[in-house]
Amino acid sequence: MYTRNLRIVTFAIVSMFFLHSFAENNWNVPADKKARNSTIKFDATTSKVGESVYTKNCVSCHGDPTKGNSLKSLSPVPPDLASAKTQELTDGELFYILNTGRVIMPSFNNVLSEEDRWKIISYIRSFNKDYVQQLSISDTNKSQLVKVDMAFDKKSNQITVTVKANEKTGVVSLKDDEIVLFANRYFGRLQIGESQRTTADGVAVFDFPKDLPGDKDGNVKLVVKVNDDTYGEISRLKTMKIGVPTDIPSMTADRTIWNVLFKPIWIIVLYTFGVMVFGCVLLYLLYSLNRLRKAGNI
Amino acid sequence: MATKSNTDKITSDLLRPIRLNKSFVIWMGFLGVSLVICLGAYGLQLKNGMVVTGLGDYVSWGMYISSFVFFVATSLIGMLISAVLGLSGQKWASPLARIAEIIALAFASVAGIVIILDMGRPERLLNVIIHGQIQSPILWDVTVVTVYMIISALFLYIPLIPDLKICSEKLKNLPPFARNIYKVLSLNWNNTPEQNKIIKQTTRTIAIFIIPVALAIHTVTSWLFANTSRAGWDSTIFGPYFVTGAFVAGTAAVIIAMYFFRKNYKLQDYITDNHFDMIGKLLVLVSLVYLYFNLNEYMVPFYKMKESEAILIRDLFAVNHAVLFWSVQILGLVLPIILLLFKKMRKPLPMLVIGIMVLLGAWFKRMIIVVPTQEHPYLPIQNVPLNFKIYTPTLVETLITIAPFILVLIIITLLAKVIPIIPVHETIEQLEDAPISPKGDLK
Repeated sequence: MYTRNLRIVTFAIVSMFFLHSFAENNWNVPADKKARNSTIKFDATTSKVGESVYTKNCVSCHGDPTKGNSLKSLSPVPPDLASAKTQELTDGELFYILNTGRVIMPSFNNVLSEEDRWKIISYIRSFNKDYVQQLSISDTNKSQLVKVDMAFDKKSNQITVTVKANEKTGVVSLKDDEIVLFANRYFGRLQIGESQRTTADGVAVFDFPKDLPGDKDGNVKLVVKVNDDTYGEISRLKTMKIGVPTDIPSMTADRTIWNVLFKPIWIIVLYTFGVMVFGCVLLYLLYSLNRLRKAGNI
Repeated sequence: MATKSNTDKITSDLLRPIRLNKSFVIWMGFLGVSLVICLGAYGLQLKNGMVVTGLGDYVSWGMYISSFVFFVATSLIGMLISAVLGLSGQKWASPLARIAEIIALAFASVAGIVIILDMGRPERLLNVIIHGQIQSPILWDVTVVTVYMIISALFLYIPLIPDLKICSEKLKNLPPFARNIYKVLSLNWNNTPEQNKIIKQTTRTIAIFIIPVALAIHTVTSWLFANTSRAGWDSTIFGPYFVTGAFVAGTAAVIIAMYFFRKNYKLQDYITDNHFDMIGKLLVLVSLVYLYFNLNEYMVPFYKMKESEAILIRDLFAVNHAVLFWSVQILGLVLPIILLLFKKMRKPLPMLVIGIMVLLGAWFKRMIIVVPTQEHPYLPIQNVPLNFKIYTPTLVETLITIAPFILVLIIITLLAKVIPIIPVHETIEQLEDAPISPKGDLK
């Protein structure tokens, strides 16, 4: 009886372990994403930039590649990215993982530029001597043909984004592309609504919130990001006067205890007063000593 | 009335130690060698960085800063004995004034050096001044410590002027250049009534001025802690708590110094048993006040047990720091108070033992104030090695911590070698004013 129970428990533990590691490894990367390649060529320069981006964004969990010092207390444990298991993945898979994230790994799609993301992969690949890069065959200059229009409708409070490409053969609407809209904030970008797919006319419509603070004139910096398989990743910035005018004085405008530019008057007065009193006493003492010296002449 | 023979005896007695002798050379040699060893340890810290210490992200203030607080504290004794007792007419304390001032000057000047030991990049020291923020207690601390050092030096120097003249005249065995230095420093002293008047006036001015400065120096040091909201430091009584603690440490330091000066310089006629008895009583008084502040400081949070404070209080009373905490409170404070209530215990030798107990207790008390709070930040400590969580000083750090103590001993020894540690002029004057025997027995 006891042995049987033990067997069941052992089986349960072992199968849980396998399920767990299965979940860990299975990223379900779609085939087209898996085959994707970088548009930039990996070399020592890109790897160096990648290293600095890696240090800011990845090292806290994954540790230094080859050192095996990733954060072991996390579940699943973030792998050492120089490990064979990671290096077996294609560039497209790494890029996908970096873009989407999962469980405790955040998505870097909207945090880092496409270029920076590829450079991180360039850095990771620099630990693999057998790695041979396959460059993307798509033309990087094609993205410059794309024209993105943004229009705001006050009545409906909506932003209409139109994406078109000026090909030699004429204007082509980019249809069924993923469009993401952001507003620039103090720290990072705020996504507006959910991402949309363009219609056959290359149009996507976003509901714009009525209470988004702008600068003191109401200006909001908007960023549109288009992901197109032919034209690549396109990002356009436009400032529109559609936010709520907000005038927050800067942290260093008032005389406050934390302000390094303008200090509170009471502190200046007290400190200066203290130092001056000391100065006066010191002068008096020196004067007295001088008097003492003179008084010695008989 | 002071007879000539009496005056001569006092002068020769008090000036006798001012000469080179074998024991001085041996003692200084010992201190010098020890200092070189400790400086070697500091060289390691300069070369490899703060990694050679037990300090880290969580406990970034350890033995060095505890020592700094201790040094500032001990230096306050100059103000208590020379100024407070002097102004309140406690004549028994006047032979001790110079010892207290020497201790004050030595500890205050070395306190600044202790701060530099805690800096990983000491070459950036000037940045404290160049980029100093007037809102920061650290800048105030730098200011008041400097002011106190200057005032202490003057407080030592000005009443010394008549004695310097006596030195230049009577120390005939000294080489001429040394006697000339005494002469220049004695500022043309001729014992004229006007000069006597000026010296009394200025001494009185300093005595009054040094009281707020001394209070400021240790109150500001306490604010380095109390102006943060950390559990254990966030206290409104930290100023007076530190000041009273300072009097305890300083009095103990003076007792130890009194014992050794009396024995080595054969000053039994000037530092009498009566002085030990009186300063023993003074130690009881300041210790009782300090005990009262301790009761407030620990009893009130212990009664309320607010969550963040409770973790710290438990740690101090019953967990990691319990042995040190209770040893410091009992051996360094309660037991000395009880012992000193007996007259037999206020004799020189028992007083020396008690003084050492109190002074050691005072140093470890600073560790109890500085370190445990940092081990318990408001946000939980996660995913760090054990030695980040619990502060353990290293050997190198210990050696570096000993260095300022050696430096203080060197300064005190040197000063006590070149100036009479009992005021000669004043002792003679007192003898003229009141017919008391030079044994100092006050009726």
